[in-house]
Amino acid sequence: MIRLSNVTWRYGSPTRRAAVGRGTDAATALSSVTFSVPQGGFRWLLGPSGAGKSSLLRLLHLEALPQSGELEILGTHVGVDVKRATLARLRQRVGMVHQDFRLMPTLSISDNVALPLRLERRDEAAVADEVAAILRWVGLSERSDALPAELSGGEQQRAAIARAVIARPGVVLADEPTNALEESQSSRIVGMLREVSTLGATVIVATHNDALVRRFPAPALRLERGRLTSDESNAP
Amino acid sequence: MSEAKGRRRDGLALSRALPDRSLLAMVAAMSLLASLTYAGAVGARALSSRWAAGAANLVTVQVPDPEKPAADTTAGSATSMGEATAHKDGASDASSAQTAQFPASQPEKQSGSKTAATPDMTRATAIEAVLQASPDTQLVHRLNASEIDRLLAPWLGAAGASALPLPAVIEVHLSRGAALSTNVIASIAQIAPGSLIERNDEWRVRLLDIARSLLACAALAILLVGTIGAAVIAMATRLGLGARRESIEILHGLGAVDGYVASRFARRVAGLSLAGGVVGTLLALPPLAGIARLMAPLSGGGALTFGSGETGFSIAETMTAFATLCGETPPALLWGLGVVPFAAAFIGWITAQVMVRVWLRRLP
Repeated sequence: MIRLSNVTWRYGSPTRRAAVGRGTDAATALSSVTFSVPQGGFRWLLGPSGAGKSSLLRLLHLEALPQSGELEILGTHVGVDVKRATLARLRQRVGMVHQDFRLMPTLSISDNVALPLRLERRDEAAVADEVAAILRWVGLSERSDALPAELSGGEQQRAAIARAVIARPGVVLADEPTNALEESQSSRIVGMLREVSTLGATVIVATHNDALVRRFPAPALRLERGRLTSDESNAP
Repeated sequence: MSEAKGRRRDGLALSRALPDRSLLAMVAAMSLLASLTYAGAVGARALSSRWAAGAANLVTVQVPDPEKPAADTTAGSATSMGEATAHKDGASDASSAQTAQFPASQPEKQSGSKTAATPDMTRATAIEAVLQASPDTQLVHRLNASEIDRLLAPWLGAAGASALPLPAVIEVHLSRGAALSTNVIASIAQIAPGSLIERNDEWRVRLLDIARSLLACAALAILLVGTIGAAVIAMATRLGLGARRESIEILHGLGAVDGYVASRFARRVAGLSLAGGVVGTLLALPPLAGIARLMAPLSGGGALTFGSGETGFSIAETMTAFATLCGETPPALLWGLGVVPFAAAFIGWITAQVMVRVWLRRLP
């Protein structure tokens, strides 16, 4: 579950100290944003470039903290006074898929996908089983030993999704995951994210690909100039 | 794949991110300096202790024209002797033990057998009698001709000093913490005007002051070396952080706690620092062995030889000599040198931990 109430965030305040001390003269990226997404919900996050989609996702991925308002993720209130260890634990329960994949270039695909489990200090035998299963799901079993640079964009994005969901997070966020991908690859990626949602994770996908939104109808959150202008959560 | 190996597959690849060789070389250099400084401090302390112990509670009295009749032996000395005889009985055993160090021909006079100065005595014997009568005196020893010859040999050579009119030299060992009383000093001046009383404990205090100063300098130098070492490690860690910035941000985004990233860097840096410390300490051993060899006679040990037999250099002989050196080396030095690599590793570990944690603070 994700819940925001009058959340405001300004640029130039990625850290807590900066958030407290220098927030007033920075450019506002999000202003009084209020919405909630239930557990297992799927939302499109729409809006033109610069509307604040990436800022909102950064906030939900806890790469930034709100200067004002209330943010609740998976039952935890997140504010400037939250402990770093709490943020780290919460981050392990929020999977993120970036537009540029952000795979470790020196690690094989299987090691990249295994990272979240290794950070949780899971038993290595169990890690191997989980990785094999998730790579089968994203169709990369044959490429498990390849380095990211040896994969196509679509394959890298599927690996990124595998890494984001392998620890069975409660929230999965995707920032323009289909950018620069072919139509068929885009549909496959979004299909996977929808499947993750049906398995119980809250999923928010930022995109400006209207065709994709039409092909996979779902409630949308629309941002313009940092303000939430439309929330179709309660739409019929 | 093993669990430990698996955990290291996190993309940080620190073996390529940190400047391994230069860090190891710098830590080795710092450890070498620290080892030499520490060894110098231990050596200075040992020498000063030995010298200071030798000079402790020793007073030397030089009596000019020692064979002349004493000027007056009744006034001050009588008083001193009277005081002394009453105090001295219990000290005779200890004094006897010390008397044995001197040549048998020398008529050592001990606290238990005090003799009074009489008007027909020479200056030297009268002053000896006064000194023996003093309650603070443990032992009185007048240097004989051969001892004086040995003392003056560096200046007069083998010719000896028999042709010169020399003063009598009387060594007085006092009780711990005691000094010659003013009465005794006045008596000496009265018996033989122009007598010179040299208090060796002043030298002892000076030696101790010098030793303390040297130790303070050494401590400061070691602190400085440690600080510079920490600064070098901090710079290397920053380089590593810069090289792995993206990887760290990815791990941070995946939920890695600060302690995880900091520990990864700290373990690597501590390992390199330990290796550098071992190298630096090993490099310090040959010069230290050389210095110890030179100092052995001064510090009371025998001269050490390193493979200097007719067969030339021999590893076995060298090892034997090294073992002898270790046996004669102060334990504090051996322990200290053993600690240097671990101290380097600890400085590396703590510096890396602090640097990484501070750096991670920029991320929420």
